[in-house]
Amino acid sequence: MTLMNFFNALIFVLFAFFMQTSITGVNRKIMARLQKRRGPRWYQQFLDIFKALSKSSISHGWVFQFGVVMAVGGIMATVMFIPIGDFRAFPGTDNIFIISYLLAVGMLGMAMSAAGSGNPWASIGVGRALTNMLAYDMPFMVVVVTMIFAFKTSSVGEIAEIQRNIGVLGWNIFRLPLGGIVGLICLQGMLGKKPFDSFIAPAEIASGPMVEYGGRQLGMLFILHELMTFIEVSLIVNLFFGGGATLLEYFIKYFIIYTFANLVSGISPRFKIDQAVTFYYKAPLLAALVQGFIVVFTGWGVTKWL
Amino acid sequence: MAIDDKVGRDAWEKLGDFFRARSIWMMWYCTGCGAIEMPPTMTSRFDMERLGMGPMATPRQADVLLITGYLSTKTLRRVIYSYEQMQDPKYIVAFGSCAINGGIYFDSYATINKLDDYLPVDLYIAGCMPRPEAIMNAFNTLQQSIRKGEADGWKRYKKNSEFYKENQRKAIGEVFVHDEFHE
Amino acid sequence: MNLLSIITILIVGGLLTYVVSRMNKIVGAYMTIIISLATLAMVLFIKSQVGSTYSILYFSFKLTEVGWYFSFVLALTYAMSAFYNVYFTDKLLYPHTYSMLYLLSLGGSIGLFFARDFITFFVFWELVVWSSAFIIPLGKSRKASYIYYVISTMGSLATLYAILLIYKLTGSLVIREAFVLLDVSLGESILIFGLFILSGLTKIGIFPFHVWLPLAHGSAPHTFSPILSGGLVKLGAYVAYISVVIFPAYGAFSSTFMVLGIPLPIYLLMVLGAISIVIGTLMAIRQDDAKKLLAYSSVANGGYILIGILMKDQIAFAGGLLHLFAHAIASATAFLTIAAVAYRTGTTKMSELGGMIHRMPITYTVYLISIISMAGIPPMAGFVSKWLILQGLANQGLLFISLAAFFGSIGSFLYVFRPLSAVFLGQLAPKHENLKEAPPLMLIPMILLTCITLFVGIFPNTVLESITHIQREAGINMLELQQNAIVTLNGYLNAYHVFVVFAYGFVLALILYLLMPNSRRVGLMDTYTSAEFIYTPELLHYAHDFYAPFERLYGKHPSTLKLYERLSLKVQELGTFVDYAFMSHRPSLTVFWIMLFMSLIAMGGVVQ
Repeated sequence: MTLMNFFNALIFVLFAFFMQTSITGVNRKIMARLQKRRGPRWYQQFLDIFKALSKSSISHGWVFQFGVVMAVGGIMATVMFIPIGDFRAFPGTDNIFIISYLLAVGMLGMAMSAAGSGNPWASIGVGRALTNMLAYDMPFMVVVVTMIFAFKTSSVGEIAEIQRNIGVLGWNIFRLPLGGIVGLICLQGMLGKKPFDSFIAPAEIASGPMVEYGGRQLGMLFILHELMTFIEVSLIVNLFFGGGATLLEYFIKYFIIYTFANLVSGISPRFKIDQAVTFYYKAPLLAALVQGFIVVFTGWGVTKWL
Repeated sequence: MAIDDKVGRDAWEKLGDFFRARSIWMMWYCTGCGAIEMPPTMTSRFDMERLGMGPMATPRQADVLLITGYLSTKTLRRVIYSYEQMQDPKYIVAFGSCAINGGIYFDSYATINKLDDYLPVDLYIAGCMPRPEAIMNAFNTLQQSIRKGEADGWKRYKKNSEFYKENQRKAIGEVFVHDEFHE
Repeated sequence: MNLLSIITILIVGGLLTYVVSRMNKIVGAYMTIIISLATLAMVLFIKSQVGSTYSILYFSFKLTEVGWYFSFVLALTYAMSAFYNVYFTDKLLYPHTYSMLYLLSLGGSIGLFFARDFITFFVFWELVVWSSAFIIPLGKSRKASYIYYVISTMGSLATLYAILLIYKLTGSLVIREAFVLLDVSLGESILIFGLFILSGLTKIGIFPFHVWLPLAHGSAPHTFSPILSGGLVKLGAYVAYISVVIFPAYGAFSSTFMVLGIPLPIYLLMVLGAISIVIGTLMAIRQDDAKKLLAYSSVANGGYILIGILMKDQIAFAGGLLHLFAHAIASATAFLTIAAVAYRTGTTKMSELGGMIHRMPITYTVYLISIISMAGIPPMAGFVSKWLILQGLANQGLLFISLAAFFGSIGSFLYVFRPLSAVFLGQLAPKHENLKEAPPLMLIPMILLTCITLFVGIFPNTVLESITHIQREAGINMLELQQNAIVTLNGYLNAYHVFVVFAYGFVLALILYLLMPNSRRVGLMDTYTSAEFIYTPELLHYAHDFYAPFERLYGKHPSTLKLYERLSLKVQELGTFVDYAFMSHRPSLTVFWIMLFMSLIAMGGVVQ
């Protein structure tokens, strides 16, 4: 834990923010072309965030502000744990459970601050967001446990390295196909994109938790959303698509997966929250369990692979 | 009513105006008959998003309040309440002739004639209703005036608040209603 | 200053407190505080005397590592909760009995953990059951007490039968000797194992014996709920420890069908633990009363502890024991905050409260940290224990049980957030406008427990050291601990590094936040309501049916309590039938029975 580590971590967080925000802007353009429009500039998301940060804001109490800082702080810390290729800001901390549970700090901070505003829309949105988390985490965690059992390690970076040993066919999306599909479906829920975005429904519950945010809290929340997206897509890239030996390879895989998730959300309607829960507990959970049984009892895909 | 002594903007405010000009969020609250012109402006043919504008759900998150048409006194109460819930810097764009001089409802007992007496307007768009081309043109003008620092309706509201409050009281009584019907 | 003095002080002190409370109940309450704190200090003192044995009258005790660990957890919980006794003496019908039984149950627990033979074990176990069974009805409900007593007796009698069976088979009553001398067939060892662990299962509250837990914990006096949930369920965990570690369960069952390396009877118990995690979580999500919600959460966490202890391996076993400690602290803290709110407002129903943070900010912070630990989020103690349990489960490849464990872990975000949002956040009702913060004697234990949670979360190896001693004593592979890190086969955790990075991220976010212009403070009622004018804060507070869409999915579920009630009804019907058939005065029935018996005798004679 030298000073160099902290400096690297800061640069990494800035890089993650910059990369994800640009990709979000490009995806806004792609979504607009999908809808036969032109779309904004590729750096529009940066303009939005800085504009929000520059406005004055109101607050409903100290927890309203503290929750936002705690959420963004937790997420920034989680970003520092993500491995890319051989780079790790802090060595030895990329355990999958640490990353998943620190994501919950972001959710808890936002939930705390949203409920602290006293607006019932915010509490409804938060209740839906937590139920959503219960839904998508179940199949995903079963697949993660399968991978820990199979590869005998729970470090995200090491799982990515093991996949790169054989080349393209070593990726987990080919070795554990059911698990990969479940991972992509759960990614849709994790990112909060349609069809699983009922917790920020703008017209139904007045954008849910964000109802009373303005000015710097809204800017911080946008930064939170970008960094959370970075963490989640990075998890999927590292766990199922072999991470990236070089930065360019990582960037290409990241861009393709995020654009794919965005395109799926562009053509989907929105599930009600109980529909989302029953959806995740049927086919994805079954597929994850079947994949788990295949790996635990036959070893197909792990020990019996090319 | 313009501010007589134009104070110069410092570097932070110029930088802020640079960002605020290129990313304007409108409040999804359209009064009156001009609201029908907003969907075509937002969708495929006249795409508003390429200017950086987009809708946001609540006044706390929004920058610009669009008064799209006439304002009855009942609506004026809620509009003033929402405007005061918005956060600085905020802008108002008024569509149509009803906001300028009353339009075709100039002699009605239930509508107001001149919006600028009650809320500071940054930009008027003439027409009954203005078409999306006119609206896009107007948004362009709004962006330029924000960039130059001329869209200072929020500063005027704070500086001349007695004037605005007096007019509001004369027209609608009290903004936040306290009577036995509501409580 | 040894073990015997602790137990004597507790029992004699308990009786003395009764006498003193009769004269002045406040002084009696202070006596409980002083004696529990003294017990905690003495327990810490006797750590160095591990290995010695004592005996007095018919009881004999042995100081073991595991016994010391459990007594430390319990003494801490009792000592911290005792501070609240002073404020709640007015609300109790019999405050003198309460103070006496408070200390007697602590004495019983400590004697139980250090018991060397079965008689001591059983006597002190029953002492705890009886004292808590008489404290519970001092709260809100009498029905809770007798359901608790019935289910607890079921377990206690099963254990007594197992003890007598062991005595008949081996002739020894010393716990560690008797189990080792046991040389029986597979069927008999399964029978002994099942009967012995039954009292533990009923005490932890594992499905299907969980029905007493929400009733008892939810309606016990406010100062005793933290002890019930944080302390007394750990007695069941101790029984589970004895059944799995001291009785060589894995060795005795090695010829049964193995599920991924775990014998079938133990796997079935783990499945029961997994079911109680799921049931506890689901039932907690739909509760409106804050104490019942935390009681169901104890059911869920009891499942975790049972699974951890039953795994008896390097990692999950340590996780189960650490979870015991982390859950005791977190659950006791949560109950203490709810008790503080109940002291100020008089209710624990979440739909009647709201906005407490504006009047009780310290209580809010304490509750926030305790739920961060209960939900298993770093950098608190609950994260390390859950990490260990989940790593252990993943290593073995137990998919269904880890699914239930994750469900409990993520579902716990839902139900711990509900009191936070409904009680502390949201709108402040006008009738609570003049509330004050909790009194200082209540703040002391809350803040102390919070600091302990934080400390163990950042430096878990302080507690894990003791757990590795327990593992060595039990003959299991010890957990590998480096300076601040835990090294397992499949994972590496350095809790201190995680905390430092978390603090670094927090500081960065704070710097960014403070660079921006300041926020203007507005009132809670000045909020977005689609420009409608609102006047009543109570109507704007969202607390009732918080997770309604999710609750609707399992709203019509079968209830275990009703199953028990139906069973008892069937037994009553059987009794009525017997009464009718055999004990009535009708001559026709007598003739029938005589004819039946004579024909049977005749048939028997023919066969002969």
